[in-house]
Amino acid sequence: MWKSLIALGMLASSASAMAQTHQLKIDDCHIDGIKEQIKCGTLTVPENYNKPDAVKIDVNFTVLPAIDNSSNKVPLMFLAGGPGQAATELSAMLRRNYYEIRKTRDIVLVDQRGTGKSNPLLCDNEAFKATNVYTMSSSDYNIDEIHSCLAEFKQDLSQYNSENAIRDFDAVREALGHQQINIYGGSYGTRAALVYMRLFPQNLKSVVLDSVGPIEVPIGPFGQSAARSFSLLIENCHKDAECKKAFPNLEQEYQQVFERLVKSPIEIAIPHPRLGTEVKFLIDAEKFVSTLRLQLYSMGQRTLVPLVINQAYKGNFMPFAGLVAMNDEEQAKGSLYFGLTLNIVCNEDFPLVDENAWLADADNSFGRNISHRAWRLACPVWPKYRPDAEFYQSVTADIPTLILSGNLDPVTPPANGDKSDATLPNSKHIVVKNAAHIVANTDCGVGVVAQFLDSLDVSSLDEECLAEIPDESFMTSLNGNM
Amino acid sequence: MSAGFGQLKALIIKEFKEAFRDKRALMVAFSMSLLAPVMIMVMSKTMIKEMVDKPTVYAEISGGEFAPKLMKEFRDENIVPLSEASENDQRIWQKRGIKITIPDTYGSDMVEGRVINITLSADYSDKPSLSPVRRIKDVVRDHARAIGYKRIIMRGIDVRIMKPLNIVEQDRSQPSSNAMMISIMLGLYLLMGAFMSGLSIAIDSSAGERERNVLEMLLCQPVSTLKIVLAKLTCSASISVLSIVLMLTVTSVSIGFVDLTKIGATFNIDAFTFSALLILLVPICILAAALQLFFSFQAKSFKEAQSTVTMLIMLPAFIPIALTFIDDRPAWLDWAPVAGQSIIMEDLFKGLPVNWAALAVTSLVTIVMSAALVLTLAKKLKSEKVVMALS
Repeated sequence: MWKSLIALGMLASSASAMAQTHQLKIDDCHIDGIKEQIKCGTLTVPENYNKPDAVKIDVNFTVLPAIDNSSNKVPLMFLAGGPGQAATELSAMLRRNYYEIRKTRDIVLVDQRGTGKSNPLLCDNEAFKATNVYTMSSSDYNIDEIHSCLAEFKQDLSQYNSENAIRDFDAVREALGHQQINIYGGSYGTRAALVYMRLFPQNLKSVVLDSVGPIEVPIGPFGQSAARSFSLLIENCHKDAECKKAFPNLEQEYQQVFERLVKSPIEIAIPHPRLGTEVKFLIDAEKFVSTLRLQLYSMGQRTLVPLVINQAYKGNFMPFAGLVAMNDEEQAKGSLYFGLTLNIVCNEDFPLVDENAWLADADNSFGRNISHRAWRLACPVWPKYRPDAEFYQSVTADIPTLILSGNLDPVTPPANGDKSDATLPNSKHIVVKNAAHIVANTDCGVGVVAQFLDSLDVSSLDEECLAEIPDESFMTSLNGNM
Repeated sequence: MSAGFGQLKALIIKEFKEAFRDKRALMVAFSMSLLAPVMIMVMSKTMIKEMVDKPTVYAEISGGEFAPKLMKEFRDENIVPLSEASENDQRIWQKRGIKITIPDTYGSDMVEGRVINITLSADYSDKPSLSPVRRIKDVVRDHARAIGYKRIIMRGIDVRIMKPLNIVEQDRSQPSSNAMMISIMLGLYLLMGAFMSGLSIAIDSSAGERERNVLEMLLCQPVSTLKIVLAKLTCSASISVLSIVLMLTVTSVSIGFVDLTKIGATFNIDAFTFSALLILLVPICILAAALQLFFSFQAKSFKEAQSTVTMLIMLPAFIPIALTFIDDRPAWLDWAPVAGQSIIMEDLFKGLPVNWAALAVTSLVTIVMSAALVLTLAKKLKSEKVVMALS
């Protein structure tokens, strides 16, 4: 009896030691955009954490090593946005932007399951690739494409949820031998970070939430926040003497173009922006609004918006074609893996939005209900899973938390940050007047994050430089201005 | 045998006593190990400052009011009009006289898409002006490029066609970011330290003793000349080793005061590197002492010994520098004394695995050479010619 027990115990321990050696693979590697070698690895985890011996998947990750790790500071794990962005694809960008943090800390980037090289939920279907950004129209989308895309997936979609993603992240943390870790979440990454705070608070040293998407605010109805960001843009244009002079009727011009496109889409022949050969360029309201909305995310792109609207109003859609051209790339680095985006949003957020909420969100003067279409088309047919009720509880973990919001943000307005700030006991919310989506993408923003990681004291941050970011300025002629 | 060892011990004690008696000579011996770390620290600080800091540049900007956006870019890069300088700065920068002229047609030319000439006038042979000139050019170029890209987008062209080729660089060096400049300096100083620190003691205990007529006395005693040479060698080499240990320790401490992360580098001497360097340098210290003793004894006078041996210490500085000019190094360099150690030291600082075989061979060659020198010298000391400096 005893003998068998002891024998079993040994077997179990040797088996787990075997599993351990098979689980983590890490090696020096090169990644596009980074000249030096970094660390790349995979960790084998169960697809379903309740069935640890069933299907296994490999979670892909990279580590950007600290320049000087002699002081062994706690690393920073970066949680990407979307949902559906692959964190490792942002390695090169973060290596550049996070210099101040990287000086003394490793940065850990994990591809969320369903993205990047972690068993991606990617459709081979034409409609999900941006191969035809000029000729396609929004009415081309139809439900059959969703079905055929779903048929391509071999994964158990119910396991590709936010909570399991966090279990993967925490497993990577443990496998890398870190007792605790700091996390930075941007956009949807903040939602992931909040889930992390609820599931494994003891493993987190500190948290940065940048452009917050709290559990309390469902992802999907972005009509109001986009309209708010757009009206701030018009307001800022009219505060600037030159912009006001160049575009005195910007709001009206936008409304007229919008109405014209709603009535009937425009089709013109243009030289293909990349090929130079003639191509039909179809402009409908959805393409117009969603392309402009995308520009509202970044301070750099916002400078172009008034001019594009004004030119479109005058009948010149070439500037608009230039903006569309920027999306002419098949699965660009850092873009969304739509299968995962839909899988999470359709199950974790979409069911929370009722008809009244959709209607209220559509009552705006920018895109109306245009941003709703994709969700409302795809979500009803998407396979269903339901998170626990606990998933929707406000997070109250007592961890030092820095919350950042850009006032001009078209998706996660400062009001979102206020919600998390209210429930978290040890947090500070900084709203940056002249920032849009994501604050920590400038030297100043990253500097504040680095400072916070060092001090872990939200009350003593020197955030002056954030307030000194100058007001936005705009391009007022096709050749620029003085 | 034990009597022989007792003699050697007595001789060594005698040499150490003599060495430690002359405090000034000893200070000279250790000065290198204290000065080198300070030099390294000061030089890296200056270098980092030059690489990272953007000290304010004051330029006479005329027509700034025509180009507010460009002016903002200048200001972001800490380039400001001379009129805003403090009195003291104003005097310096006035003399430097960097002038930027923006034409009054800037606004209209920009809108019409004409080329705008921004005039930059400076004395390009004035070294302190070079960095400001470069920074001004960078701002103008980057601002112009940003406008150019936007113009292209606004004409419905995919900007990426402006960049037909993109080079993806892959650096296969080990991801150790030890600051190369510091490694090179430290490597050089270590080799020089190994050669120089025992210098005064070696000369004093050979040519010096001869001039003081102590050597004659010593040689009259019933001890073998080999023991006498070995005792002198031990003393001189030990001082060198001590000096190197001191240098490494002080460098480890002093480098902590330099924020190397500013330039994306670090510098650590861990226990492994420390011991590996020591293993590497001890044979060099022995060889240096042997060479110095050999040449000092050959010299006719103390003064001649000094000049001959001083020439000798050029060797450790010359070899590593010469090595940097040899791209395809012949294999024998790996085990040649000084060159071999220098190559292994380079690997060590780069974080590459140490080639233990090469280390063993080069150490052996170095020791064998030292032994040969010692034996020859011991034999020579038996001849009156050398003792009386008659050769």
